[in-house]
Amino acid sequence: MNPYTQKAESVEEWLSLLRALPELMENVTYWHTQPAKPARTVPLPDSVHPQLVQALERKGITHLYTHQAASFQAVAEGSHVVTVTPTASGKTLCYNLPVIQKLLADDSARALYLFPTKALAQDQVAELQELADLMEADIKTHTYDGDTPPTVRQAIRNAGHIVVTNPDMLHSAILPHHTKWVKLFENIRYIIIDELHAYRGVFGSHVANVIRRLKRICRFYGSEPQFLCASATIRNPREHAERLIGERVTLVDDNGAPTGEKHMVFYNPPVVNKQLGIRRSSVLESQKLAALLLKSGIQTIVFARSRVRVEILLTYLQETVKHELGTKTIRGYRGGYLPKLRREIERGLRSGEIRGVVSTNALELGIDIGQLQACVLNGYPGTIASTWQQSGRAGRRQGSSVTFLVASSNPLDQYLIQNPDYFLGRPPEEARIHPDNLLILLDHLKCAAYELPFEEGDKFGEEKLTDLLEFLTDEKVLHKVGSRWYWMEQAFPAHNISLRSAAQENFVIIDQTEGHRVIGEVDRFSAPTLIHEEAIYLHEGVQYQVEKLDYPEKKAYVREVNVDYFTDANLAVELKVLHVDLESMSGPLERQYGEVTVMAKPTIFKKIRLRTHENIGSGPIHLPEEILHTSGYWFSFSEEESAKRSANDMQMALLGLANVLIHLAPLHLMCDPLDIRVVPQVKALHTKRPTIFFYDRYPGGIGLSQRLYEKHDELLEEAQRLIRGCGCLSGCPACVGPIEEVGLLGKDLALSLLEGTRANP
Amino acid sequence: MSGLRERLNRLRQETSTSNPPAEVTNGGQADLSVREPATTTNQNLPDAFRQIGVELRENESGPFLLRRAVYSLPHQHGDYELGALIACAPNLRPLAGRQNKQSEPAAIDPYRLLFLDTETTGLGVGTGNVPFMIGFGYYTHDSFVVEQTLIRHPGEEKAMLSYILGHMQDKTHLVTYNGRTFDWPVLVNRFILNGWRRSGQEPGHLDFLHPARSLWRNTLPSCRLGTVEEERLGIRRGQDVPGSLAPALYFQYLSDGDPSHLHGVYAHNEKDILTLASLSVHFGLLLGGIVDEEGMPEGEEMFRTATWLELHGVTDAAERLYTALCRRQDRYDSSWGLSLAARFKKAGEFERALPIWRNYAESAERSAAPKLDAHVELAIYFEHRNKQLLMALNYAEKALELASRRAKLIGDAARRKEEQDSLRHRVARLRDKLSREGK
Repeated sequence: MNPYTQKAESVEEWLSLLRALPELMENVTYWHTQPAKPARTVPLPDSVHPQLVQALERKGITHLYTHQAASFQAVAEGSHVVTVTPTASGKTLCYNLPVIQKLLADDSARALYLFPTKALAQDQVAELQELADLMEADIKTHTYDGDTPPTVRQAIRNAGHIVVTNPDMLHSAILPHHTKWVKLFENIRYIIIDELHAYRGVFGSHVANVIRRLKRICRFYGSEPQFLCASATIRNPREHAERLIGERVTLVDDNGAPTGEKHMVFYNPPVVNKQLGIRRSSVLESQKLAALLLKSGIQTIVFARSRVRVEILLTYLQETVKHELGTKTIRGYRGGYLPKLRREIERGLRSGEIRGVVSTNALELGIDIGQLQACVLNGYPGTIASTWQQSGRAGRRQGSSVTFLVASSNPLDQYLIQNPDYFLGRPPEEARIHPDNLLILLDHLKCAAYELPFEEGDKFGEEKLTDLLEFLTDEKVLHKVGSRWYWMEQAFPAHNISLRSAAQENFVIIDQTEGHRVIGEVDRFSAPTLIHEEAIYLHEGVQYQVEKLDYPEKKAYVREVNVDYFTDANLAVELKVLHVDLESMSGPLERQYGEVTVMAKPTIFKKIRLRTHENIGSGPIHLPEEILHTSGYWFSFSEEESAKRSANDMQMALLGLANVLIHLAPLHLMCDPLDIRVVPQVKALHTKRPTIFFYDRYPGGIGLSQRLYEKHDELLEEAQRLIRGCGCLSGCPACVGPIEEVGLLGKDLALSLLEGTRANP
Repeated sequence: MSGLRERLNRLRQETSTSNPPAEVTNGGQADLSVREPATTTNQNLPDAFRQIGVELRENESGPFLLRRAVYSLPHQHGDYELGALIACAPNLRPLAGRQNKQSEPAAIDPYRLLFLDTETTGLGVGTGNVPFMIGFGYYTHDSFVVEQTLIRHPGEEKAMLSYILGHMQDKTHLVTYNGRTFDWPVLVNRFILNGWRRSGQEPGHLDFLHPARSLWRNTLPSCRLGTVEEERLGIRRGQDVPGSLAPALYFQYLSDGDPSHLHGVYAHNEKDILTLASLSVHFGLLLGGIVDEEGMPEGEEMFRTATWLELHGVTDAAERLYTALCRRQDRYDSSWGLSLAARFKKAGEFERALPIWRNYAESAERSAAPKLDAHVELAIYFEHRNKQLLMALNYAEKALELASRRAKLIGDAARRKEEQDSLRHRVARLRDKLSREGK
């Protein structure tokens, strides 16, 4: 440490200082070190165009990393390719190299680049432009998205060699108007899909269908482009790519880029109330660690799980370090910031002017911010893949880097922090999509029919196409003549279909105590119970009462209040089994998978006095019932098992178990925790026995429950391990739930119920 | 997994996928008497088609339906005879030049114009919007012919398009109402989808929506073709099926095969084509300098017409209108007066601008919510042109006073401040100049 500046010379030096601080080290549950790895390179292949060789040499590139060379080779052989490499391993060159090579040889050739967000698209254009300028080649690269001015659109359509866009734009603007893009579609040689892992779940299922449409249009214009994909590390990159693009692909995953030494530190905030299992806030602990890093001059990124948390952390941090660094050197970054501001922050990070940034997962994707030295994760990001992605933001090709995983008190975080092997010993999750979800498929069939008529013998997805087309004909959307189906409706179908799932729609919370100020947001599915009218909404420790909930506009108007109660809403959930597709016995448990209907309606809310928890009033909630048709998985306990305990005890045991399982499930599914739901029932209508149901929270289901059905045994085993391993006395938010919810015996009841099923297989 | 059919049926119950096609009540029988007996061949077309002269045609791409109506040149459609265009079509040359961005446009030959209007299954120019009826008209040496093609289903499209292409061969311009941004792009989509590529010369456009907007934007309730023809071309349609119902009527025909649903659409489309010819006459006469001042009750329209004519190089007629405008009683409290003065100012005709500004200024001073534009113009004029600094100061101070009155009225201090600041600046400068001149 430099005695005058208080700055650390290196991350290593800083870490050795940290090791000498017992008050911090006692919270470190695990310290993992990944050794440095040297580069593996090969010379530029002879086949590379001389102009391109020259340009690369000017950028200081004389060799390719092994994975870059392998993908160049695979593309040359005509394969579809997916490249899987960590952050900052030079993956863009994997696809830019073959594309530029082709464009230099053939001026009429075209390429289409797809990125999940606009910001990534802009980065890419800048990079390609730089390369083109170095070659003094006339390669026109343009973004085509909602921000593209109408005046230049026509020029891009006719003359752009490389068009960079996003799936949403492809879906709603390019494909339905493909006749304006004749030049592109007739000459398209490559389709680049970067950040492949981002296309999973509902969004991915939509995108897979958009790609089916894209391929149909390409075929119509007589072209058969190659797909070049790039993905962050996931367990099933090849399978995922193949499902997404519907073609066999070659996998390139031999990463030849060098990495420096990497430290992964698991940090659990200390317990402050043992009986209730309450730990110090992870926000405060994250802030402490980040401040320590920043004050020592180490460039640091902090990831937080919500936009609101980003703001809180940012305010705290700026306050703490303002004397050393000044507030302008620590910035926030999240969706909702204007593009210009984001570009400025990205530049500042690259140049090193900005020393710290607090971000949502918006910076998890490949936006170019250079490489930082340290990363603090405020809470487990939800998946192993995301965690590696975020942690990859810290890590230079030389020198060490460090990532802190600061656990919050939710069960998932607590499970991980106590079982680091789970995280470290396991490949990242699978990316799963279900492009043949009936609703999604039908939506895109409409769009596809609008774009080109269907003909008998055509293929689109795995379901029987003629049945679907006949269905749409009955619905008077299509008109059949001879062997063809034509679009025959006034509507423009793409307008009513959004690729991003409903779960991404949020309600904003507007404080009207003084003027109008947005203070936060709540996801759509939590809104009915959290921000119904008269609810008390807590925000940064301040109480607000909801005065008006504008359901269609997704706005809640609140006013600051000071009352001695909180509100608790009842959600009546009714679940009906429509059809059982799969069933089997797992020890004494019967498990099933099938189609279910879920009806959810908030009924009443209770006002509950703080501290005493007595019920001091109630009121009705007037909101529409939501009906969901989806797929579900459930398991039920035997009658002997239910005979062993009272109905009430059974209720508590089921509730506790459900609480644990719902937190573990997203781990296995690599899905947003909001995508899967749980309902425990003491006597289920369908099975007449104590049953725990899971269902996909998307109409038609997206394959999550089915996966859980398959993983049943593993899931229960982990639940048992988590409850046993939890340090609390009788249940806490980190395992079966707080005692207010599951009673004083909740933990024991849940565990014994679980052990009963495990003991006699 | 339950059967696909079963699952689809469940979806049907729960999602309201598409609204059933709206019931269309045909507001009465359209006038569809055939002007000339069509050369009907033996086709087994339903009576409801044959009644209105529809016949079956066939070319190498297959069959489609065609209806043909021939009008004599003296036929009166509204205020104009159709034949009037033969004489005045050449006047449309500057309009065609501007619309097609040609500095040296070719002469307009009436026999090489194709009057075009399509009826489509939807809105917008996406690839799923199908023109099921394409109506077009053209002049022969002794008649105006309207032809309307119809497809009984989308499979007949290629035959229809190939027929249209044949008729476009010897034509120089498409005469349309919004055809540049709608009908033509939709047709281009269809050509591409059927395997034709654009080659060589695109047809020129004479799209009357744009000039109609230039003239009537502020005077007519809308610039829809129906409004324009009724208000300015003397055309009364009587009972007419509105174009917006055409898709629903066609879907009804597709589902039950009864051609009588389409009678109203045929009539509507045919009238549209005739109106395009009348509209061409109207603008042809206008560009020929024949302006019906009596027909323009409002100075606004006269002013718009004058500037539009001036833009197209018809300066004499424009000048006549400007002169007439100067004589009008309503010139000082209208929307166009100041624009007229601005036009004179631009042309350096201050002697014509001055009285208008003066009158404006007088009425502004009497007004409860005064506009100060005229005062500002006068202040500028007297400061820089006429060099009567005292007069200029007088108007500038008055303007400042009016500005503060307005500011109180509106209460939007920030927006008004800029205006007042610039006036204060002007006043100060004028005072300064005056003092230097020693007055």
